[in-house]
Amino acid sequence: MTMTTRRGLMTRRQLLKGTAAAGLVGGAPAILLAQGKEPINIGTLCPLTGAGGSYGPDMQRSVVAVVERINKAGGIHGRPVQLFHEDDQTSAEAGVRAARKLIDVNKVVAIVATWASAVTLAVRPLCVEAQVFLIGVSGADAVTQGDHKGFVARTQPNTKLQGSMYAKFVVSKKEWKRVAYLALQTPYARSFGDAFSGIVKSAGVIITDDLIYEDKKPSYRSEVTRILATNPDLIMLEGYTPDSVVMAKDIYKAGYKGAILAPSFAVNAKFIEGAGPEVAEGIWNMDRAPLFDSPGYKEFSAAVPRNDTSPYAPQAWDQMSIVALALAAGKGEASGTVIKDHLRAVANPPGTAVYSFADGARLLAEGKKINYEGASGACDFDAIGDILSAPFAVQQVRKGKSELVTVINP
Amino acid sequence: MIAYLTAIVTLVGVRALLTLGLNIQWGMTGLVNLGAVAFFAVGAYTSALLAVGGVSLLLAWPAGVALAAAGGAALAVVALRLREDYLAIVTLGFAEVLRLFLLNEAWLTRGANGVTAIPRPLHAWFGGHYHLFYLLLVLAAVGLVYAALERLRCSPFGRVLRAIREDEVVAAVAGKPVFRFKVQAFALGAGVAGLAGILFAHYLAYVEPNMFLPQESLYVWLALILGGSGSNRGALLGSLVLLGLLEGSRFAKDVIPFLSGVRLAAAQQILVGVALVTLMIRRPDGLLPEKPGSE
Amino acid sequence: MPPIAQYVFNGIVTGGILALPAVAFSLLWRLLRFPNFAVSTYLTVGAYAALVLNAGAHAPLPLAWVGALAATGGVALAVDRIAFRPMRDRRPFSLAIASIGVAFVLENVVRFVWGNDFRAYDVPVARAASVAGLRVGREQLAILGAAVVLMGLSQAFLRRTRLGVAMRATADNPLLAAVKGVPTDRVIAVATFGGGALAGGAGVFLGLDASIDPLMGGGLIISVFAAAILGGIGSAPGALAGAMIVGIVEEAGTLVVPPTYKTAIGFVIILAVLLVRPTGLAGSRS
Repeated sequence: MTMTTRRGLMTRRQLLKGTAAAGLVGGAPAILLAQGKEPINIGTLCPLTGAGGSYGPDMQRSVVAVVERINKAGGIHGRPVQLFHEDDQTSAEAGVRAARKLIDVNKVVAIVATWASAVTLAVRPLCVEAQVFLIGVSGADAVTQGDHKGFVARTQPNTKLQGSMYAKFVVSKKEWKRVAYLALQTPYARSFGDAFSGIVKSAGVIITDDLIYEDKKPSYRSEVTRILATNPDLIMLEGYTPDSVVMAKDIYKAGYKGAILAPSFAVNAKFIEGAGPEVAEGIWNMDRAPLFDSPGYKEFSAAVPRNDTSPYAPQAWDQMSIVALALAAGKGEASGTVIKDHLRAVANPPGTAVYSFADGARLLAEGKKINYEGASGACDFDAIGDILSAPFAVQQVRKGKSELVTVINP
Repeated sequence: MIAYLTAIVTLVGVRALLTLGLNIQWGMTGLVNLGAVAFFAVGAYTSALLAVGGVSLLLAWPAGVALAAAGGAALAVVALRLREDYLAIVTLGFAEVLRLFLLNEAWLTRGANGVTAIPRPLHAWFGGHYHLFYLLLVLAAVGLVYAALERLRCSPFGRVLRAIREDEVVAAVAGKPVFRFKVQAFALGAGVAGLAGILFAHYLAYVEPNMFLPQESLYVWLALILGGSGSNRGALLGSLVLLGLLEGSRFAKDVIPFLSGVRLAAAQQILVGVALVTLMIRRPDGLLPEKPGSE
Repeated sequence: MPPIAQYVFNGIVTGGILALPAVAFSLLWRLLRFPNFAVSTYLTVGAYAALVLNAGAHAPLPLAWVGALAATGGVALAVDRIAFRPMRDRRPFSLAIASIGVAFVLENVVRFVWGNDFRAYDVPVARAASVAGLRVGREQLAILGAAVVLMGLSQAFLRRTRLGVAMRATADNPLLAAVKGVPTDRVIAVATFGGGALAGGAGVFLGLDASIDPLMGGGLIISVFAAAILGGIGSAPGALAGAMIVGIVEEAGTLVVPPTYKTAIGFVIILAVLLVRPTGLAGSRS
């Protein structure tokens, strides 16, 4: 199956309506399409500027698209959903101020689509205290650890799970005997590295070097020189798109002929464009496999046209859908507590598989049990809010495009 | 709404403290410190790490202030012999190196993960009204420090600092151990910055290295210059105006819809830079300058 | 070849890139009596100017580079006219702070127009050739060559031309130079334009060697400062030597300290020089 870039799948009319409803990527609340009753307020806290600035807008748009559909389907218990958007500027302090506003001024019952671990960690105590539900894509271990009383969840696999899946793939490729770990300085770089290295080493593969590099540097020549001096067959490159482009080019220029493995959210269409097809050729990349054939993913792709295939936007889509379904499973009162109490009931098995809010709400109204399967994956949560295991899709860049090669199952 | 405003005013208070600290160094003594955020970070991290390690806040807080002040003294002893424009780059470099240290020495500082679940003082006592309590705590700290600094300004120590700021040579000729006073002023400013950091860390219950970027030092400078360097009252005003600007731009995007995302952030920064340059050209004494002869 | 040789070579290339803004920074400091923090942002401006010409107007890179020289020189002149000229008689510190403000504005204007994404010139990416066991990139050689040429031209200008001599005279003693009839304003304008052009040219090199983003120049300010101070403020050959040493020590230093601490190396150099020999290698009275 070929992963192509997705452009302009929306009709012009849909695009115009979507833009108007979203109030652009800014602060205006969504137009209320359900009638009459008091709205339910939900907040988005995405990085529209700062280090995560390339991911935030798509995430926000995904949430907006879901809310449009919710309101068109009659809202939650007849109440429309009203969105409030804030930019966390990928900064913990700005995130706290923004969250305070969402919680105290806008009176949201949930904050969805957070991205940076630092922001999620800083905002978490506020949400727990105010009993506002918090769900995002942040990867740091601390996000779901400690006592959050059930008000926190995330749709991104935790780093231990991720590390183990990457390791499984590497071990399955017998020709890679010497691996160097090269990661961007993030809150999860270390724990991913440890999980990855531990499993890989126990299968007899040698970790030749372990280097964490700094963000936003125009050149990584010294880092690359050091790594290449250890003669790896494979470089496990764990970063984001901007730094990965620079790193991949430096690695190429230094004459490295071995393999590179990176996350798909880093090695996306933007990466291939930035690094160029020669540099990108042959780079392995993997990520949680979205359910490509699921109606949820199809609906998401149609609703949110975008140029890259980062996993964050589909997750934001699912986060909003699940929060809405959890509220719908309640008795009509809207609060973070209701979401917390019904989250697993609507997202985990057993239950009839549903792929959208509309379907799920209908079945809930009939008193049936549902199991939401999302655009980003099965979305089943464990007791502390982490996603249960998920299959990972492995791709390789061939002639300027990432092609699906295999799927690694847990 | 109340809780939101409480949060904003609390953060203004923290910034005001930091600016007061810089005022001791620059405003009162004429010492150029472009790395104000460094001792803010030292206070924050010291107290956070100690508190998370089980140390009582009654010990952790003073320890944070003490370490910040000691660090300030150490840097001062090394760097204050330098000329003004050299001192600028040294303090700037020091703040950046400190941030790299916080980021990389994870065995000590928890690195990029930051320090979570920092205990808050008297949290159990105040329950739902905790934010009001903390606001009052911060305002009390600002008030006390302000009063103390005003006293200091009029004291013999303060007069010596002012003499040093105006003309070091004359002060030296008059028999004052100029270097010792400079180190003391620098250390005192660092200690106040450390206190601001402590209040910051325990308010957010979380610290991480990217809260202490070099541009934060620039913001403190802007606040001080805006309000009027040399004046403690100006420091308070400048902090209020600055955070008002930063927070106000959140609401600006509703009014200026075509400016969003990166553009809005960049436009905000451009305004900061233009404000800085304009202030330096037109009103280097700021909005509320120190009135000459006000003892 | 022992690995250290590779680091030294990399350091020489870095030094070549650093030398240009370091010379500009050092001479302008001597001439205008304050450290101009905006010089490192001129690198960014130059890189983007060339980007517009190369990726936008499809000019070949050498042509785009020349365009960048002119454009950055012009920007530097404009900055001087707007921000620094009204402050000629002020204390150096005020000018330094103003220059920080200017740097902030320039960086964010670039960010406003082009966003935060990393960009690259329209040149094919080539693997480095292996020369005597060293990995030598094609762009690296071009950069070194161009840097040497520019340095030579600057030196010739300062030593041989009337304006160059006048510049050095004004730097040494502005009052005397003015009394002797040296056209101070013209000297400053030429120096500002030339310094801006040098930095802009270096920016293109940096964009070629690494990548282009709004923070590219600002990240070098500590290294530029270190090179200038090490060489002695006001000495072009000193700044060149300082840049080489800083470049090599920074690269080779990654053998000893983690690469993330590169900025720290520059900082330590600054501190060491200022404490031990503030006038630097070639420095005369500051």
